[in-house]
Amino acid sequence: MEEIKGAIALIGYGLAAVGPGIGIGIVVGNAIQAMARQPEAATVARTTMFLGIAFTEALALIGFVLFFIA
Amino acid sequence: MILASEECDTAKEIICAPSNVVELFEYKHAVFSIGPLDFTRTVILIFLAMILVVGALYFAFRKPKIVPGKFGVVMESLVSFVREDVAKGTIGPDGSKYAPYLLAMFLFILVGNLFELTPFINFPLTSRMAIPLMLSVFTYLIFVGVGFSKNGMSYLWGIIWPKSVPVGLRWLVGLIEFVSYFLLRPITLAVRLFANLVAGHLMLTLLLGSGWLFFASVGDIGLRALIGLPWFAFGLLIFVFEFVVAVLQAYIFTLLSAVYIQTSVHPEH
Repeated sequence: MEEIKGAIALIGYGLAAVGPGIGIGIVVGNAIQAMARQPEAATVARTTMFLGIAFTEALALIGFVLFFIA
Repeated sequence: MILASEECDTAKEIICAPSNVVELFEYKHAVFSIGPLDFTRTVILIFLAMILVVGALYFAFRKPKIVPGKFGVVMESLVSFVREDVAKGTIGPDGSKYAPYLLAMFLFILVGNLFELTPFINFPLTSRMAIPLMLSVFTYLIFVGVGFSKNGMSYLWGIIWPKSVPVGLRWLVGLIEFVSYFLLRPITLAVRLFANLVAGHLMLTLLLGSGWLFFASVGDIGLRALIGLPWFAFGLLIFVFEFVVAVLQAYIFTLLSAVYIQTSVHPEH
């Protein structure tokens, strides 16, 4: 078996990206559903969607920063 | 892309990565100095962004007209977007008080982010942690100050001893809320902007830079330089994507600042 090379931080970043990926999918999917059902409330749904994305995405980005400082 | 190749002698070696990725974001030597102050490239870009923002606002609103010109319309829509949608839409009717702060923040971050895509600059100002951290410290001071001045000490007690939670759990929820309010909020606000722009700058540098290096070394490696073509194409795709990210992150930073201020103005929500 060949020697395994690379940084464990890479695996850590990969793991950190899984949860937010699923989370952003759920957020955007439900926001699209809300906009499709009530087009007149699309503005509110869009603002809230961006907020939700920003909060969810923070976890992945913290993982990304930790990858560099690890 | 220019940054990656400027220190690189393509005649000698085809692939020359910087020894440390941090070098892509550092400009140590000063362009010029006034006394003990060194003006590096980053500092000059800060002043350039400031002049651009102030100049754009000045020229758009120097002589207010009933029917504004094209530039005036763009600036007016930006200002009214921040004022009506972000400030008043999030904070409420008294949100217009915070609109100047949010507008300054939005425009500075927008210009700083778009430096990433500007030819011959190619450096996002907000990918140096000092700048987003400073901006988020401003937001932090404002929302903590507003919370205390509007609600007095009940602002703090409302966070660490929440009335809407059963008594046995109040200390735990209060602890989590305290850490989230006073530690995590400013850090995540800064890190979100910083990391997005660092990731974007790295991707653009890697894709466009390596594509360009393959093209530049066509004399040495012949037709194999065509490998650079898909990389360059993918880089151009990312370029468009990064434009969206730059605008969106400026919007999200402003929106989150407004949301944090709103939770201080009306703490019960």
